[in-house]
Amino acid sequence: MFFKQVRRNAAKNRKNNGLFFSSLVIAIVAFYTLLSLDTQDVMRFLKTVESDAVGKLILLIPFVYMISLFFVFFLVYFAYRYQLDNRKKEFGLYLMLGMKKSTFFAMLMGETVWNSMVSILLGLPIALLLTEGVSLTAAKLVGLGIIGHKISFSISAVLGTIIGFIAVQMIAMLFLSTIFSCKDPAELLRSNSPEKQVSTSTKKGWLCFVFGLIFLILAYVAGVTMLRSLDFIVVALILAFGGSGTFLLYRGMGVFIGHRIQRKSSTRSGLSTFTGRQIQENVLHQHRTLAVSSLLLLMSLACISYGIGTTSGLGSMDVRTVDFSIDGNEQEVHSVLNSEASRSMISVYYPMFLSSMVTNLYDRTGVLLESKLNAHSFSWSGLSAALEKLPETDLRNNMIENFSDNSGPYLISETSYSNLLEAIGRESIQLEKDQVALYTSMKDNSDFINILDSALKSGTYVEVDGRKYELLPGAYYDNIVADRMIRLYSALIVSDDDYQNWVSDTSKPLCWNVLLKQDVIIEKGLMQAIQLMEKNLEGTGLKYESYISGIGRNLFYTVAASYLTIYLGVLFMVIANTVIGLKYLMQQKESKHRYLTLLMLGANINDLCRSAGAQIRLFFALVLGAAVCSAFFAIWSMFTSFLKLPVGTSPIKVIVISGISTILFVVIEFIYIHIAEHASSHEIRALLVTDRGNCL
Amino acid sequence: MYSNRVLQVESITKVYGKGDNKTEALRGISFDVLKGEFLGIMGASGSGKTTLLNCIATMVKPSSGRILLKGNDTSSFKGTQLADYRGKEIGYLFQEFELLDNLTARENVILPLSLHGVTGKQAERELRELAKRLDITNVLEKFPSQMSGGQKQRIAAARALIAKPSIVLADEPTGALDSKNSRILMDKLSAINKEQQKTIVMVTHDANAASYCSRILFIQDGRLFHELRRSFERETTESFYERIVTVVAQLGGGSANVL
Repeated sequence: MFFKQVRRNAAKNRKNNGLFFSSLVIAIVAFYTLLSLDTQDVMRFLKTVESDAVGKLILLIPFVYMISLFFVFFLVYFAYRYQLDNRKKEFGLYLMLGMKKSTFFAMLMGETVWNSMVSILLGLPIALLLTEGVSLTAAKLVGLGIIGHKISFSISAVLGTIIGFIAVQMIAMLFLSTIFSCKDPAELLRSNSPEKQVSTSTKKGWLCFVFGLIFLILAYVAGVTMLRSLDFIVVALILAFGGSGTFLLYRGMGVFIGHRIQRKSSTRSGLSTFTGRQIQENVLHQHRTLAVSSLLLLMSLACISYGIGTTSGLGSMDVRTVDFSIDGNEQEVHSVLNSEASRSMISVYYPMFLSSMVTNLYDRTGVLLESKLNAHSFSWSGLSAALEKLPETDLRNNMIENFSDNSGPYLISETSYSNLLEAIGRESIQLEKDQVALYTSMKDNSDFINILDSALKSGTYVEVDGRKYELLPGAYYDNIVADRMIRLYSALIVSDDDYQNWVSDTSKPLCWNVLLKQDVIIEKGLMQAIQLMEKNLEGTGLKYESYISGIGRNLFYTVAASYLTIYLGVLFMVIANTVIGLKYLMQQKESKHRYLTLLMLGANINDLCRSAGAQIRLFFALVLGAAVCSAFFAIWSMFTSFLKLPVGTSPIKVIVISGISTILFVVIEFIYIHIAEHASSHEIRALLVTDRGNCL
Repeated sequence: MYSNRVLQVESITKVYGKGDNKTEALRGISFDVLKGEFLGIMGASGSGKTTLLNCIATMVKPSSGRILLKGNDTSSFKGTQLADYRGKEIGYLFQEFELLDNLTARENVILPLSLHGVTGKQAERELRELAKRLDITNVLEKFPSQMSGGQKQRIAAARALIAKPSIVLADEPTGALDSKNSRILMDKLSAINKEQQKTIVMVTHDANAASYCSRILFIQDGRLFHELRRSFERETTESFYERIVTVVAQLGGGSANVL
């Protein structure tokens, strides 16, 4: 009998609180997705090449999981309080009928466990499907060729999800059932009445509203103009102004809405005054919840944008120029690469000549520190002059400073670079007499590349031994070795003759670059093809770096950052939306008698549903409005400070990803609004104002 | 005489439940209410008086019988017609006022008008007139939580009257008021009844409040049990009150002792 009652109550709770129940299912999906991260294809691959970094991430996951549980705890606590408040009378009756407090307590806990089990049974299969989907999509994003897909199922993640989820629910319910079982039956039997309308001091309200706006504007301006310094004080100020501004804005918004209603109430017909007053009441009493939800949504939008920003950068890694860079003497390399096994896999291999020009060493003031044999004199002065003509920015000044160093630059031989370009099917470089080209691997920094290209287009030169060498009007930035950690701020691509003349040791290349055959890669997938080739190289004594281990690091940081931020973003969005929806439904339940009175005064039931719908939309809009506005400035600040899209990131790709995400965001909001509207209209139509059946 | 009838209640019955659980709240009640009449309905708890008022107000559908307001059968009303009936033809005064506590007094009073699209100057004119009559002008900008019980009930009365309904239904309007505020309210309602010929049907327990009525129907066990009429020319409020108290006392002692 007891268990039957528990099951029946649990089913009723699920039915009455669909919004909350679906959020719980989403939370389970999110938990499993996070905990099963190490079995995802991308992570599996990264473990083979970057086990240390992946190890650190795996250590970070429990921490992120605890943060998620913390936020979900509040959602659960809040939603259960709403549920229990609605059932106060029923509990009062149980106690009046002689139910022991311990039985009552056991009943509530039993219902919680039962509902948790149902959520888990629903959520886990969805989570398994989704993680497979995410895994496949991630594999697709970084190139399916790199990672062969493997179906993953993590028992530890399943257990972790179940334990964490049930623990959060039990703790929340433990708190609440303690509170409820301490209440007297009379208190429980008394029905809830909404808080009385308070006429907040108009002056105080306006002050809050105006100061809220000013603080927010200050935070926006500081974000856009000063965040790039990444100074702790600036960040703290932005957070302080933004946070307090949001709270003050919502604190004063009730008075602002009241003022508007008062001005227009005599001219408005229908239920518009009632609708406005309901919203005003919600804002006056729930301004803290609104502010917290708005900030949660802002965090969600910022996290998701950051995740998308970093994911968009992945595309620039698509151009694979070198699969292996091998260090060894020429004969050894030839013998290994010409072996039967290797020849069938290799498309091309060539030496990469890179070395630095022999110059005397000077300090920053130009004083000679060390004199070298066969030293040349070198100067970037032509490029510096061109840079000085460009509009002044911190970055430009920094570049002028860097290019004032006249120590020997790195040189790349024309043939090596042309080989690289031809290997990937591009046109080789053609240097005329007294011409050189500028190379940099700083392509991740689009501002740097833009400034450099502008300077080069204006026609500039470098000087070697007093002779001017014209710089080609565009920089080159293809990866010249497989290891992506090797970064060259600047180098010059010079003709082979000049290379011979200006470097000390011309006999030994930096490394030998190898590119695998395309058909082998298509047939076996890049990861397997590289692993096969590695087998040929192992045991030969040659040192080598592969493309996979090279991109591993970059890929790891990108994937880890985007995965975790998108995860937290989605979680914040779910929590914020559920809180807004539940807050509204709670208020509607508490003001049920108002709807009854309105029906008696001749309001049409459809008009009441429409009014409730308008209230929900406005309620969501109030939270979303501030969040979207703040998110716009937050994203702007982010993209002008610490988040830069690498050069070569396709704008169409960024627009498409952002567009899809925006549409998804709008769809999610619509779903939440629709669920809240549905629940609200269901409640209004169920009002027992009359037994006139379908007459209403 | 018949054209003067605002409300006709014809053999109304109301049965709750089915089979063995059947409860007959009304067992065939018939009466007419004439224009300008102030009708009181009295009876012990559970006698069916509130069910009767709720049937007239369309909150409850009678099991059989008809209720005609100005010749129209209210049980046939649906949707917009029903909403219009509630908003325009009847004004309802609740025991617990039922003001919307998040609306100011002004907004509460004009609510029935704005529900039916009457706004602006016309609404303002009606409001000013009623506010003066009911002495609530100085509380119009206040919220219910800032008003006394008496002020709240007068605001509720203004709301019930503003749409100029054919009939005002009042369910224990003095039930939540002290004697002073009860008297003020009844004085105002009585004045409106007399000066504007407003038809009022009031359910009450309170013999004091009932003494303002021109006619009182006594209900017992879902049936009309007795009727008292007051002749304003020949009878003072005090002596009418005495008669009411006598009937109420006899109601408690059973029908065998009455008259």
